[in-house]
Amino acid sequence: MTPRLFELMLKAAGTTVVISVASIGIGLLIGILVCAARLSPRPWLRWPAGLFVSFFRGVPLLVQLLLIYNLLPAIGLTVPSVVAALIGLSLCTAAYQAENLRGGFTSVPRGLLEAADMVGLSPWQQFRRIRAPIALRLTVPALVNEAILILKASSLISVVGVIELTRTAQNLAASTYEPLLFYAVAGGLYLAINWLVAAGGSLAERALRRGRLA
Amino acid sequence: MNKRLFVQITLGLGLMMTTPMMAQAQDALARVKAAGVLKVGTETAFAPFDFIDAAGDHAGFNVDAFAEVGKELGVTIKWVELPWDGVLPALEAGQFNMVAGPATITKARLERYRFLSPVAEATVAILRRAKDDAIKKPEDIAGKTVGAGKATAQLAQLKTFAATLPRPVEAREYPAFNEAYADLAAGRIAAVANSLPNIAFVASKQPGTFAVVLPPFGQKSYFGYIGTKKPDDQPLLDAVQAALVKIKADGRMKKMQEKWFGTAFDTPDVAPEPSF
Repeated sequence: MTPRLFELMLKAAGTTVVISVASIGIGLLIGILVCAARLSPRPWLRWPAGLFVSFFRGVPLLVQLLLIYNLLPAIGLTVPSVVAALIGLSLCTAAYQAENLRGGFTSVPRGLLEAADMVGLSPWQQFRRIRAPIALRLTVPALVNEAILILKASSLISVVGVIELTRTAQNLAASTYEPLLFYAVAGGLYLAINWLVAAGGSLAERALRRGRLA
Repeated sequence: MNKRLFVQITLGLGLMMTTPMMAQAQDALARVKAAGVLKVGTETAFAPFDFIDAAGDHAGFNVDAFAEVGKELGVTIKWVELPWDGVLPALEAGQFNMVAGPATITKARLERYRFLSPVAEATVAILRRAKDDAIKKPEDIAGKTVGAGKATAQLAQLKTFAATLPRPVEAREYPAFNEAYADLAAGRIAAVANSLPNIAFVASKQPGTFAVVLPPFGQKSYFGYIGTKKPDDQPLLDAVQAALVKIKADGRMKKMQEKWFGTAFDTPDVAPEPSF
């Protein structure tokens, strides 16, 4: 592999990382809102949030991407490839992250909240001091897991015209007749990226345990 | 309160849908000229028309031909690269102005799309392993497994031809022809059916691995670039058609064909009525 081709692979890995990380971030924000809506006592918030989760968790990401790219223009919203990929990945991961967060919040022991009521903490204080920190600690491993899943699932966005790591490996494998080499390099790059994500997750978990974060 | 919200949402959605329609007062040609950019959808796994070369650059007949079209129209070309089975749906969705491909001009496609002036012959032939002497003529694929690209006219031609053979042919469908070539080299399939310019290029690049089986078995057909039949797109497609005809008339097309296919084709200015 010439240095120029390796550079192309690295650039493509950059595309994969940027789009995946942006999607995970946007997905986390949407996921927090959806989770809050799902835990709300108001049915008109709970219902749409439940519908959102079941749709984006129930329809394959590949189908979601094709729908966004090919169907949105029909209602006058022509989204460029990168935007379609971002929307698809973000909404899909938002549904999973909302459920991860909900799992964290519903796992907070009732006894703690009853005790908090007893000592007279306000609902906001209970959220800030008890529910959020516990839920966050319980959710971080699932969040790291989800980030790794999205990084790998981002290989699907080539169907809407984003040339990321897998697609670049396919293109170069075809033009150089060296499939083994390029797929091995692509696999190695994915592994390295995901190792960094997992390492970052471990650091965050340790910091949380020592009470440095939240 | 809920009723007011409903009215607001309805109004909002309505506005979203009508705004782009108002913006379409100009036709596609005027918009492309104003933007200075012609968006072309394609697949980069169709050498020698469209591929990523060994240096990692987007290359091929399409790149050269559209550079000339861009010069004629005074616009730059923006390529959108998709898997082939996603290209035509995305064209209809309006993700780009036209499709390079090119695609074989067939009856079924003509009903739905407008084909521009043909750029090469598309008649289908068989590619085999160089060392495999069992296939000497196209009919020898009887009883064997033959690969072709998914959703391609070449696959349809293969199936039609296979139906005339004494023993059934297993047609294996691939996301792109590149994967079919790889499986042929690895011995997983006995042959690949694709248009002559494509497989002649593949065989010339790797003479020790592949060989072309002559004559072609399919019916005579042509490759053309594709646009929609939407009235809004027609002025733009007329302009591209005129550019292609001019490029043919002054000999530039012939030069590009010789560069990429090793031979020039006599292609009519207007796509002829296809036989299939």
